[in-house]
Amino acid sequence: MKEKDPLNVIVTGVGGQGNVLVSQFMGRALVRAGYHVTIGETYGASQRGGAVMSHLRISRQAQYGPLIPFGQANVILGLEPVEALRVLAQYGNPAVTVITNSRPVYPLAVAIGAARYPTVEEIMTALEELSSRAWLINATDIAVELGAPILANIVMVGALIGAGVLPLGPEEFELEFQESLPGDRLEQNLKAFRRGLAEAKARLPATPSA
Amino acid sequence: MSLDVKASRELQSEVLAQNLCSLCGACVGMCPYLVAYKGRVVALDECNLTQGRCYVFCPRTSLDLDLLSQTLFGVPYAADELGTTQQITMARAADDAIRAKAQYGGTVTALVSFALEQGLIDSAILTASDENILPGGTLAASAAQVRDRAKSNYVAAPTLAAFNRESGRDDVERIGVVATPCQALALAKMRASPLENRNNIDKLKLVIGLFCTWALRYDDLARFLAEKVPLAQIVKFDIPPPPANIFQVFTDSQRFDIPLDQVRPFIRPGCDVCLDMTAEFADISVGAAEGVAGWNTLIVRTDAGRELVEAAQAKGVIETQPLSAQNLAHLKEASLNKKKRGLKKVIETTGSEENLLYLKLGSETLAELVS
Amino acid sequence: MSITAYEPGASQLLMGNEAIARGALEAGLGFASAYPGNPSSEIIGSLAEVAGEMDIHVEWSVNEKVALEAAAAASFAGVRAIVAMKQNGLNVASDFLMNLNLTGTNAGLVLVICDDPAGLSSTNEQDSRPIAKWAELPLLEPATFQEAKDMTKWAFELSEKIKNVCVIRSVTRVSHARGDVRLAELMPPGRSAKFAPTMLGQFTPLLVTLKHNMLHQKVKQAREAFETSDFNWYTGPEKPELLIVTCGSGWYYSLEAVRALGLEESVGILKLGTTWPLPEKLVQEHLARTDKVLVVEEVDPFLEGNLKELVGETFSTLGALTFYGKRSGHLPAIGELDPDKVMGAIGTILGRERAAVDADYAKKGQDLTQSLVQNRMIGFCAGCPHRATFWSIKNALKLDGRGGFVAGDIGCYTMALGPSGFFQIKTVQSMGSGAGLACGFGNLGKLGFGQPVLAVCGDSTFFHAAIPALINGVYNQANFTLLILDNSATAMTGFQPHAGTGASAAGEPAPNVDIEGLCRSLGVRVELTDPFDLRDTTQKLLDLMQCDGGVRVLISRRKCALVRAKAEKAAYKVWVDSEKCRGESCGCARLCTRVFQCPGLVWDSERQKAKIDEVICSGCGVCADICPALAIIREAA
Repeated sequence: MKEKDPLNVIVTGVGGQGNVLVSQFMGRALVRAGYHVTIGETYGASQRGGAVMSHLRISRQAQYGPLIPFGQANVILGLEPVEALRVLAQYGNPAVTVITNSRPVYPLAVAIGAARYPTVEEIMTALEELSSRAWLINATDIAVELGAPILANIVMVGALIGAGVLPLGPEEFELEFQESLPGDRLEQNLKAFRRGLAEAKARLPATPSA
Repeated sequence: MSLDVKASRELQSEVLAQNLCSLCGACVGMCPYLVAYKGRVVALDECNLTQGRCYVFCPRTSLDLDLLSQTLFGVPYAADELGTTQQITMARAADDAIRAKAQYGGTVTALVSFALEQGLIDSAILTASDENILPGGTLAASAAQVRDRAKSNYVAAPTLAAFNRESGRDDVERIGVVATPCQALALAKMRASPLENRNNIDKLKLVIGLFCTWALRYDDLARFLAEKVPLAQIVKFDIPPPPANIFQVFTDSQRFDIPLDQVRPFIRPGCDVCLDMTAEFADISVGAAEGVAGWNTLIVRTDAGRELVEAAQAKGVIETQPLSAQNLAHLKEASLNKKKRGLKKVIETTGSEENLLYLKLGSETLAELVS
Repeated sequence: MSITAYEPGASQLLMGNEAIARGALEAGLGFASAYPGNPSSEIIGSLAEVAGEMDIHVEWSVNEKVALEAAAAASFAGVRAIVAMKQNGLNVASDFLMNLNLTGTNAGLVLVICDDPAGLSSTNEQDSRPIAKWAELPLLEPATFQEAKDMTKWAFELSEKIKNVCVIRSVTRVSHARGDVRLAELMPPGRSAKFAPTMLGQFTPLLVTLKHNMLHQKVKQAREAFETSDFNWYTGPEKPELLIVTCGSGWYYSLEAVRALGLEESVGILKLGTTWPLPEKLVQEHLARTDKVLVVEEVDPFLEGNLKELVGETFSTLGALTFYGKRSGHLPAIGELDPDKVMGAIGTILGRERAAVDADYAKKGQDLTQSLVQNRMIGFCAGCPHRATFWSIKNALKLDGRGGFVAGDIGCYTMALGPSGFFQIKTVQSMGSGAGLACGFGNLGKLGFGQPVLAVCGDSTFFHAAIPALINGVYNQANFTLLILDNSATAMTGFQPHAGTGASAAGEPAPNVDIEGLCRSLGVRVELTDPFDLRDTTQKLLDLMQCDGGVRVLISRRKCALVRAKAEKAAYKVWVDSEKCRGESCGCARLCTRVFQCPGLVWDSERQKAKIDEVICSGCGVCADICPALAIIREAA
């Protein structure tokens, strides 16, 4: 697969979903493999319910700035479906790949009954219109099944890597897990990661692509 | 004929902000937004509704007296000095003990106790004060509890808040309320309300109204009296009949006589626009008997009221005697004067006879009153 | 991963702040101090993590002035020291700094100021760089993560060379972004700390004019060093049509913008890492390349102004120059920069427009987001004691009826400006200013003022700045109530410990300063309350507002929900009895979801009832006390 350089990936979600963890994890694996990585994040008040966006710039050749220019994202990983749409509108383009979790985190305005949250079908239709490929992953369901809802973000990372859009394969990322996680959490994270990989595999075309 | 339906926002702008509130308590005790606190109705938040019980029940909004009169008595409102009446006499409690505690004839205490003992009602909403002379509504379920609270009250009390709060209880089926004129009006509005939420009004079986010329603001009075005597020591108040012109404050050991003119500034502005001295929308109305110590004036207005009075008489719970023609004439005069004063104040406030604020009066009635 | 986890020579993915901290360790750092402040907190935070391992002193100071003073002492005693703060912290430390600059330093002392363009996590937007010009101290601005590390390391050398503070200025997009950084050797600090003045007034700014002259000499020295610094470089053609002069975060944005527009042949970029004093010869050399200059910087046209000052002095040699930037309106004079803004500026100047994305896509995107996507409001977490406190404040002020209000301060509770805290906070400025304003409001009685005054501050804010205001209130007999919201945390900035939490920066047990005892020692009425007891807290507020005069203190004490969640399990299981729930009808009108707005309470519009989101609910049980229908049930867990 021809490598885009820089490869621009956005991980988006709501504060508390493990957005930062996920982007750092991917960043470390890529740095280990010799890539230049820059990650730009929105911090601070995000823990109190705000949207969080991480911009990853991945390049063999040079270091890039922490903000992706508008319309220049190559991949959008949504830990939350409406956030994927929000980001897509500003940073997407017809060629972008979107992979998003299906489980909504309702904004306060919706929880208090002051606004309506779109249905997942509406979101998917919009995502499909604004991308070349859009996948919906029931990551939270899978994580709950595995006994830890917080691992939804790891399932999503698995799906992203399984999609083959990053320049590294699953083995390199599994190595990163082994390097950075203590034993008791390693097993669960690997399980979640592999479930994500499987989700991606199930959605890829049967015949191997060039 | 109909009652306007609006909600909390309009109640605040049309009544509270205009100082028309009489603190009857009809708007509080139903929701977390409106509460009564130390003599004021306070909006803690906005409910943002467009239809609300608070506005409909308030006696200072959309007061369609014809509708209320039809609802309670089956006749249109006439500008009779004393409203719709079946019978007017003097009465007093037969029981010495009740009379000893009471400030006039003890008739209300006797009738309410009787109604409870007979099972005509199972709960009575009365007014009682705390150790800081702050009055509020309270539920009495026994004759003993009623007798405990036998006292005249001169401070405006949000008594109907207790009706609102307690009427939903499973162990409460038949309620009696001892009400000031504005409170009786509010209860009448509740009966005539077009809202789906009936606020348990069908449990209301008896309204005993009290004659009332005005009521005092709690915060002003409390502040004024606290400088003279610790509030916790005050056991009762009294205003002897004219020409005394004093406001009496009693402790266990002392009596303070305060010139009434010093207390008049504390009258609620909402009382100035009131047209009802004798609680015209009650089953029975009770007040002092002018010049006759130890007796009440008793007005019977409805069949339910008459039945109660007759039963009480038959059981020897109350004694009655005729009201003198002179007293009757004076009563009518006083009542009519209050109507005229109230109406005058309303017209003064709006500047026009066309705009009567919250009063919905037929033009004939208005003409009679204005003349 | 700690900043000492990897070997020298390895590449580690580091946050800009972590890179700065690593650079300090590579320079033999012995002492570090700071007060938490976004976006600077991770500098001392990551040093605290390795303080034990490196056997150095790292502390969270009570405020930035003390932090700078403590670090200066280390420097005086021959220990290399670093202080970090956000832009507001600089303001707090500035009195000391304006004496320290004249005093001079001994061992290297580096002051890192992290600005927050657009005030994403701040009450103001402020460009701190003029402090360098004002205090006449050398200023460095890292543009890359590698530079953040290398510059910090070099800053210690420069500081020791000129015997003065060296200022590093970073911004959010450098401090909080991460990039791979090649590490160098760690250097342990010297361990022969000693304070030994050899001259009269050596560690004072006196004699002032003498010292001021010396300061000017130091500036000259710095300028000379800057002329040959590796932190300044040029990329682009010999004679560009447009010269971009940039610093800090502007570097990556400019580079990317030029590339995206395909203008590498016509636009050159002079990237300055040393921005004050300007390396004048170097700058003039590059300015001579062209007649159009675009200055790309955050937040104010500071570099632009200094360039113009230089050009003003040398215009006869340089010829006519046209400057573009924040002054000309090509770049916005407010808020944050990004590559698209720089692209827009270049495009306009050179007449080359470039749409970020095709117009159809942009329109489609806009239409879809407008109809489907809502903004996410921020607010207090589920179970936050502030929500409960402000609920009681709202009710107490309304019941009191005299138009009382709250003067606010800085912390999570600042969100009480908005719906999350029922719009109760009416003023916010700097740390401790709630109590400060209350001193003023509380002494307007003779001028007709009759409104009860409440000032709020958090526990950390109390130690930082509110104490002098409180003492002023006592001494000047101001009439107000100070509410100390004690949630045992410096929560908004990331739960750093403080003087009242009982732990040090390095995680060791530390003395716990007793707020209540301190307040009582002032001889004022002090009450305690549990904010989760709404009725009691409301009554206490009412009572305190009725007091005749003087200062009163109410300490509202409950652990932060997030701190609680880490340490304890939920106190209650909470659910809604939907039979009893009144929903939208008269008598409730969705009080819990519409007004109280805890994120754990959700309005189910299909069933027209409220319900608890079990994932978000923290089990505090407070909502059970506000439901008018008693439909919210709480059961001890």
